[in-house]
Amino acid sequence: MTGDKSEILQGTLDLMVLKTLEAMGPLHGYGIARRIEQISEEALQINQGTIYASLVRLIQKRWISGTWGTSDNNRKAKFYSITKAGRKQLHTEAQNWERISTVIGRVLRIAERG
Amino acid sequence: MLAWVTGLASRTRAWLSAQRADQEFENELEIHLEMLTEENIRRGMTPEEARRAARIRLGGHTQLKETNRELQGLPMLETFLQDARYAFRMLRKNPGFTAVAVLTLALGIGANTAIFSVVYAVLLKPLPYGNPDQLYNVFQAKPQEGVGGTGWSYANFTELREQNRVFSEMVGSQQHQLTLTGRGEPAVVNTSVVTPELFSLFGEKPLAGRAFFPEDGKPGAPPVVILSENLWRSSFGADPNTIGTAINLDKRSFTVVGIMPVAFRFPLLTKSEQLWIPLVQDPLFGGWMERRGGHWLQVTGRVKPGVSMTQVRAELDAFAARFAKEFPAENDGWTIRMVPLQQMIVGRVRSALLVLLGAVGLVLLIACANIANLLLTRATSRAREIAVRTTLGAGRTRIVRQLLSETAVLGLLGGVTGIVLAYWGVQALGSLLPENLPRVNAIRVDRYVLAFALLLSAIASCAFGLAPAWFAANSNLQSSLREGGGRSGESRNRRRARSFLAAGEIALAMVLLVAAGLLLRSFSKLMSVSPGFEAQHVVKADISLPRFRYSTPQQWAAFSDEFLTRIQAQPGLQDSAVAVPRPIADSFINLGFDIVGDPPLSAGTSRTANYVSVSVNYFHVMGIPLLSGRLIDRRDVFSSPRVTLISKTMARLYFPNQDPLGKQLSFAFPPDSGAPREIVGIVGDVRDVALGQDPGPMMYVPYAQAPFWGANVVVKSTLSPPSVAAAIRQEVQKIDKDLPVTDVATMPELIDASVAQARFRTILLGLFAAMAMVLAAIGIFGVISYSVSCRTNEIGIRVALGASRSSILRMILRETLALALAGMALGVPCALAASRLVGHMLFGVSASDPATLAAVTFALAAVVTLSGYVPAHRAMRVDPMVALRHE
Repeated sequence: MTGDKSEILQGTLDLMVLKTLEAMGPLHGYGIARRIEQISEEALQINQGTIYASLVRLIQKRWISGTWGTSDNNRKAKFYSITKAGRKQLHTEAQNWERISTVIGRVLRIAERG
Repeated sequence: MLAWVTGLASRTRAWLSAQRADQEFENELEIHLEMLTEENIRRGMTPEEARRAARIRLGGHTQLKETNRELQGLPMLETFLQDARYAFRMLRKNPGFTAVAVLTLALGIGANTAIFSVVYAVLLKPLPYGNPDQLYNVFQAKPQEGVGGTGWSYANFTELREQNRVFSEMVGSQQHQLTLTGRGEPAVVNTSVVTPELFSLFGEKPLAGRAFFPEDGKPGAPPVVILSENLWRSSFGADPNTIGTAINLDKRSFTVVGIMPVAFRFPLLTKSEQLWIPLVQDPLFGGWMERRGGHWLQVTGRVKPGVSMTQVRAELDAFAARFAKEFPAENDGWTIRMVPLQQMIVGRVRSALLVLLGAVGLVLLIACANIANLLLTRATSRAREIAVRTTLGAGRTRIVRQLLSETAVLGLLGGVTGIVLAYWGVQALGSLLPENLPRVNAIRVDRYVLAFALLLSAIASCAFGLAPAWFAANSNLQSSLREGGGRSGESRNRRRARSFLAAGEIALAMVLLVAAGLLLRSFSKLMSVSPGFEAQHVVKADISLPRFRYSTPQQWAAFSDEFLTRIQAQPGLQDSAVAVPRPIADSFINLGFDIVGDPPLSAGTSRTANYVSVSVNYFHVMGIPLLSGRLIDRRDVFSSPRVTLISKTMARLYFPNQDPLGKQLSFAFPPDSGAPREIVGIVGDVRDVALGQDPGPMMYVPYAQAPFWGANVVVKSTLSPPSVAAAIRQEVQKIDKDLPVTDVATMPELIDASVAQARFRTILLGLFAAMAMVLAAIGIFGVISYSVSCRTNEIGIRVALGASRSSILRMILRETLALALAGMALGVPCALAASRLVGHMLFGVSASDPATLAAVTFALAAVVTLSGYVPAHRAMRVDPMVALRHE
């Protein structure tokens, strides 16, 4: 399942789901999974089922909400959308993420040179 | 925090509507699958291929649902319930195992809970007063003369009460038994003579009427009395008009001014039918209020909140120094000490109860070891089941959790059964408990005791559940599966653990057996010791003289004279006498004395002996032998020269190598303080304080020369005790119809009652030791049986190769004996250490008594061998053909 594709951390997946919902508006599970795969240019190929664990966690934290609606091709599906608290969380998390990845990048560069 | 709460709320909601949520998630997955399939078809797959690829892409359907359920619901609770259900099923499938385990545990927990209910009621439960931890008894003490703690004079007490800065209130009290007359039969009631602050000290309001006013305590105040609710109900028919009426106490008229509610008791350890009168009305000491000497007032105080013990001690020391300086004649050398009221009340029985609690705790420990052993055995046979579970993906923690749930269910069953047993146990204890155990009526299984029982079963479950669970979790998966359910390959560690548990059981049982053996030997010695008098056929009764009417020693002597003359005229009652105090029956009076003509003693030493005042016939009635000189006879009257008899021990102790006859003693005790008394005879020793206490020096004086306010009578008669009592009553009524005859008892009964506590702890400890031995035997039996069944194959091979049956028997018995020896090697030092704890309860036997130790070792070895013999015998009869096929 992991293969040579990058393995994703749990928290990271939650963050990506939040970002996707913020960018795209309400989406169903399949849509979110597809979207993450597309954006990552298929570099991240997730076991799509795992998205649901992430969705449950986010709902429990009240960062997203879910309602049943109708999809483009007239199918009943559960649509998830980001809440106000979710946006706030995304904002702090994104900042955190950038800071950490900058630091890690820097450390790795030093190590390479070293 | 908030997020956690909302998360939990949503989880709980989801858990409650689990069915619907499951269905919803199912739908969601289905839709996802359809969408994936469609996309795959668009990419050119066949429908079947597309569907299959979609499934793989989505991931394991069941696994997803399981994860979702876990995330949505309350997984801990859910798995626990699931585990518990499973555990019940497992236990039901093994009824034998379940019955043994639950019963063992129930016995342990039941016994512990019953004993704890006694310990809680007697030692731990707060006294029924407000802020009981502030209450102290305050004593005067003179350590250099061996006076550890005694009462106060009223003058000293008043000064301390009024001028100290550490007690918010203090009260002085004194107990009497006064005769209540004018209401049907004359009755003796427990009377507390108190300073008026009693009720405010304890913060208690009267049920009706009023408490004492300070004026009630002033000299010359009209006599008033406050009744307890129970006395008011039993003797006054709960008459609401009782307040304001007059009652007679020892022939003096008192006005009832109040009634105290039933919840209030002071002192705590008397009957609830009691009454209180002000100290100035004390029939004995009322006239002593001005005197600085004397130590007759018991003082209780409430320490102010926030005042430290150091401050209190400093203050009391300062007062002691001041008293000694200002009134050296009465106070030189006296110190002041204090003891918490609770400790005062329960101090004597504390260590005995704690020993019992420890003993019963050991029984539970043995029970736990037994169950742990059973579980280990079972875990071995379940190794394959657990291996399969592990293979199917159960984590180590999950397995441990499941095994612990099983033990928790077991513990709960054992606990509940144990509580039922404890209810019975407490009832059974009720008939066994000595009557003089303080607060005995407070013993019951209440919520604290229940909480204790539940806590105990939880701890016990952990104790016997952890080892098997740990072994199960660390078992080698592959070997367990390969073994194919056979039992031959039990791991060495596990076997060692089981042997260790069994040996530990033997060691613990040994500790209990040694302690019980010591108590048993001590008790049998106690029962066979001669008290120094012949108790058989002796009946005692008390006649209390109203002190306000019979107020002079001459009146007391005249009464006892007339009484004895009348009684001795009755058929069958010739052998009767009066004595104060009587051995065992009454508390002793220890008195200091001087030998006339001897140089004064050096400071810090003193001569004391127990003092008894007896009528002419006493030594004959009690069968106390005269060793030399003469007995008290009719010549010894009030007006004749003072004489005394002394006991053998007193002669040996104070007149070594000389003839005491003709020497003179003087002691400071009314009515003839300081008058010299000639020693006219020496009599045999008597164990007057307690059966278990060696006879001390004693001196006897003629009742006619030193009478008491009452007639404590002893009668030796072959008539039945009730007819003796009836005859005494009849004669007393003829003298004075208002005199009650109370506390009729036979001397053998009293001696029996005096050893009640010793008997109680001996029986209980013996019972616990027996339980321990049975449990240990069961444990050994289990270990050896299991070992035999594991080795069936090996035994078969041995037999097939020509081993004789008796050598097989020897082999198994050797294994048993090795366990026994290991256990006893561990047990002997433990037993010796533990027996020191019961050392102070022993009579006539040392704590390291080798005979007891040897007997216990032998008995235990015999029992262990016997419990190993049954499985060994089975091993001996193994059929090699069957055994070799046994796989």
